[in-house]
Amino acid sequence: MSVTATRQLVDVSRRTFLTTSASATVLATSPWSPAEAQDSNVLNYLSWPGNADPYLVGEFEKANNCKIRIKEYVGGDQMLAVLNQSPPGSFDVILADAEYMHLLKAMDALEVLDPADYPLKDFWPEFQKFPLHWFDDKLYGVMTDFGYLGLSYNTKEFTPAEVKSYVALWTPKAKGKVGFFDWYLPGMGCVSLSDGNRPPFDIDNAKFANLKKKLFSLKPQASGFYTIADIFSSLKNGRAQLIPGIGEWITLGLRMDGVPVDTIIPEEGGLQWTESMSIAKGTKKRDLARKFIQYTVSPDGQVRQATKVDNKKSIPSMAGWKLLNETMPKEAEILRMTLTGPNVMDEYKAKRIEYRRLPLKQPIETWNETWSEFKSL
Amino acid sequence: MCDGEERPNASRRLANRLSAPSGPAILGVPVLLWQVVFFAAPLIFLVVITFWQVKSFRLEPAFVTDNWTRVFSSTSFERALWNTLQLSLITTVLAVVLAFPAAYTIALRLSPRMRDLAIAALVVPIFSSYLLRIYAWQLVLSPEGLVNSLWTWAGGQVLPLLGGGLSLQIGLLTLTLPLAVIVLVLALSSVEKSQLEAAENLGCTRFQVICHVLLPSIRPGLVLAATTAFLLAFGDYVSPVFMTGSNPPTLSILVVDTVKSGSQWPRASVIGVSMLLLLTTIFLLARLVPTGPSRKRWRS
Repeated sequence: MSVTATRQLVDVSRRTFLTTSASATVLATSPWSPAEAQDSNVLNYLSWPGNADPYLVGEFEKANNCKIRIKEYVGGDQMLAVLNQSPPGSFDVILADAEYMHLLKAMDALEVLDPADYPLKDFWPEFQKFPLHWFDDKLYGVMTDFGYLGLSYNTKEFTPAEVKSYVALWTPKAKGKVGFFDWYLPGMGCVSLSDGNRPPFDIDNAKFANLKKKLFSLKPQASGFYTIADIFSSLKNGRAQLIPGIGEWITLGLRMDGVPVDTIIPEEGGLQWTESMSIAKGTKKRDLARKFIQYTVSPDGQVRQATKVDNKKSIPSMAGWKLLNETMPKEAEILRMTLTGPNVMDEYKAKRIEYRRLPLKQPIETWNETWSEFKSL
Repeated sequence: MCDGEERPNASRRLANRLSAPSGPAILGVPVLLWQVVFFAAPLIFLVVITFWQVKSFRLEPAFVTDNWTRVFSSTSFERALWNTLQLSLITTVLAVVLAFPAAYTIALRLSPRMRDLAIAALVVPIFSSYLLRIYAWQLVLSPEGLVNSLWTWAGGQVLPLLGGGLSLQIGLLTLTLPLAVIVLVLALSSVEKSQLEAAENLGCTRFQVICHVLLPSIRPGLVLAATTAFLLAFGDYVSPVFMTGSNPPTLSILVVDTVKSGSQWPRASVIGVSMLLLLTTIFLLARLVPTGPSRKRWRS
């Protein structure tokens, strides 16, 4: 063996060792184990927390004699990091926010899906060919649920008329009472909308400079920057009375518990978050993964998605809406998913909603650093 | 097989071996190994990572100094550094100032039984969950919490108690004050009471006794209490997040934010290494403070 070859081997071994050590450190903090990933009766699911709740997956597990093993992440960046640091084949199904789909596709982390395998025709027409799921006319993800982000507010302190515009955030009444979900995308997206940017994430550098200025002007109004858990408590204990960039997925549950909160889509518009399921590249359990996605977008799976006790969501399947209205009419009304009369699709059809997306003209890092700077002002 | 005579001989031989110059070194090996595996090696790894890079959310070995320049030139880091230093200094001063009278009473005024009870009352919270104690403070200080409920019932306006400097210091003192009191109780308990009585007999007032006899005698304890309070406050993550909502962020929050956004482990490591260097410097500076009582003052 030549000296160069030996040096390369040593170098590769050192690098491999160091990279493996780093990955092992990250993975060691999780109860999820790559060793169990290969078990043929285990479907490995990379997802936001709570999506392997027995209410959601119990029936599927029973019917298919399998176990859903979830590896939870909080935020798309963490999802990409987990995926990158795990050995190939560690996951079979990935639930991702739709704005991250193009990054997953670029990483070659997703299998191409056959549209005929999924009941896309049951979906609302607006969602049958959801643009963030298709690349080169090939399908990579299926929408499972969605919701809107606007301006959430304390109904004891603010009237709907006072919060009809994001301008409410800058009023003297809101000083020190504006809470923020500590993630750059929804907060900056709403401020961008308030600055008249449609779409809010596709802006040139001049508009980005204006957005930065407008965002920074909000700092004296801030009560704090909260994690998801702390958002619930800050709305409950009155510490935050206005929060941009969150929605009914938080306020509906709180309101049902008697907390005086609501969410409005201000006149400048709101954002849509979208969760999508995909089959992970390299999985040996493709059939089981496909069945799991099929179950999730089936009428029964969709009703369960919409009515999970701790996280109320809107669902894209009209068949799911129909079943919900037949079996749980009261919930359908609360969730604004009635087939007759006003419902959650109205805002979408009125073009008041923009997709939440990753920044298109600036690096993600630039937006992230702006958010960090805003926090430290 | 050992008989009765061989056993004492064997024990003696082992005792002799351990008392030989190499004995303590052998006994120290496990501790040394522990330190190498669980402290030195991760620390070296942390420093190495500061030169790595992240590509497509993947940590890759490299040798780039970009992480250091990016962190040190960022205003977020600069502001978080000053904010962390400022709040840690305030906590240190408050902890020592509040701890001294409490420790004085416990060590020198209470009966031995009451002293034991007071020390137990200080030790118990240390072993309870800090996070839980902070959540309890949220319930007390929030706009709809205990204090505000009583205050508004009495006719007052809601007070903004949660989410500012006051609530942050309450949180940090929850962490640091019991330890500072315990350190000072131990220091004060070791002071010779005859010295205090002698000073009083020579006409010193209580205040003079404290300033000229007591405080110089417990200087190492004071330094230890202050250093402990500073180190804990400087690295704390829980109080700044839950008592102020990360507003403004500290260095610990910045570490988490840096990892959360873009998986920038190398830049987070730069912040971590900087914090360690700063704390080491402060710790070494604290060691320069003279620890013995001032002889000159005694002689005069």
